[in-house]
Amino acid sequence: MSTTPVTKNSDKFATTPPRRPTSADVELLAFAQSAELTARDLYEQAVAAGAGGDHVASLVAVAAHHDAYAQSLSALLGTDAPQARNDALFSSLTSGFGANTESMALAAHELENTLVVTHTDLLGLLEGTEGAALVASILIGESRHCAAMAALAGKSPVSDIDLFLTTSDVVSLAPQA
Amino acid sequence: MTMNDFNRDELRRALRDTADHRTDALGSIVEATRGLNFARSLSRRRFFLTGGATVSFAALVAACGGSESTGIARLGDAPTPNELVEADVTDVALLRTATSLEHNAIFVYEAAASAGVLSGDAAEIAKRFLDDHRAHAEATASLTRSLGGKAYTQPNPRLQSIYIEPALTLIVGDEANGVPATDDPAADVLALAYALETIAGATYQAYVPLLDDKSLRAAAMGIGDQEARHAALLGVVLNPDRLVSSMGLSIAVEYQEDTDTPAAAYASPSAFGTQAPVPVTLGAANESGIRTTVNLETPSLNSMVYEYLDAEG
Repeated sequence: MSTTPVTKNSDKFATTPPRRPTSADVELLAFAQSAELTARDLYEQAVAAGAGGDHVASLVAVAAHHDAYAQSLSALLGTDAPQARNDALFSSLTSGFGANTESMALAAHELENTLVVTHTDLLGLLEGTEGAALVASILIGESRHCAAMAALAGKSPVSDIDLFLTTSDVVSLAPQA
Repeated sequence: MTMNDFNRDELRRALRDTADHRTDALGSIVEATRGLNFARSLSRRRFFLTGGATVSFAALVAACGGSESTGIARLGDAPTPNELVEADVTDVALLRTATSLEHNAIFVYEAAASAGVLSGDAAEIAKRFLDDHRAHAEATASLTRSLGGKAYTQPNPRLQSIYIEPALTLIVGDEANGVPATDDPAADVLALAYALETIAGATYQAYVPLLDDKSLRAAAMGIGDQEARHAALLGVVLNPDRLVSSMGLSIAVEYQEDTDTPAAAYASPSAFGTQAPVPVTLGAANESGIRTTVNLETPSLNSMVYEYLDAEG
């Protein structure tokens, strides 16, 4: 195959979806922001309880990641950002984020998997490209969190490899279209 | 006078004229800059002093570019410029490029397997990744066909030539060209795999805002998710002591890494997936003890597998 130089039309993409979030997008992104704030609070709760051991810095960093996701979504949403966690989601998960590092890491692994599946579903619903691009970059970060939490739970990258690589049986939280 | 004689005379005259112009202009510059010490920093005062030189440079440029002069040398025919091709970045082109990237990864893991570079756990992980990339390649090829496009079935030729082949050469060596083999091929293959998986995930991420069809965005990130997890798993293997980097995060000092230099690999190197180049250090050290760093990047517009390229063969 030849590698002909860049085409003169290459700065014009054939696809032209909207850039800014539509009104339907705003609802979806607001939901995502509240989910991220919930995750941040859960990690902070676990750190405060004493989870993490030698890897406590990693848990603090992951909490900061989720806070960064919420802030980025807030920047996109402006005054439509809820700026509050999802209390129902927090209550349903809070017991897993205690002081025991191994059990907390497994709960965090499931949470991250759930967020990955949720964001993947959101990508199939979002119209605006700015929101979709942001959610995609968050999704990549959370995919990597899944592997980090599996390792923190003491799982083997070889004999437990599916725990690192697959989303298992988690259910998406994404609102239906 | 033959035509050849005429051309030679014209050429000599043109060169002489050009030389005269150059001498005049350079003479002004030499005069204007006499006594200046360019090794010193250019202060404001010195900036004004050199104004004369600037004007003379402008005169030189003007002399060289005179449109009315017939004395400028011209020899032979200018090559015909390549006709640029009309090609849009369509969903099909994006999917074909994604497939090609999967084949780049397949190539690397197959090469490592056939060379027997990896063993034990690393070999098992690489085998799983190879199977995953084959499945991804089939998935993106199937999506391409579902959009009416022709599926691509080869490694991306540009990425192969600028990243993969040089990287593998650094690992296995090239005696004929004086490139020694690396001291630790297994570590280098894992480092290359980490970079390649990171770039694969970043590529799917980059394609999300470019894809017109929303369902394709979700499908692409379903694969991007797996690439990111491959990279993260390798990060766990390569750097088990620090799973999540704190670089760039505003968190308490006690949780920060005690270095300003990020490690080569992390399960989670940053909060967001980024489009930044991924550096990978490979090969044997040179006489100064320095190893080569290759920066892998997501496919650019010149690396995309447009459909028109099929016709070029």
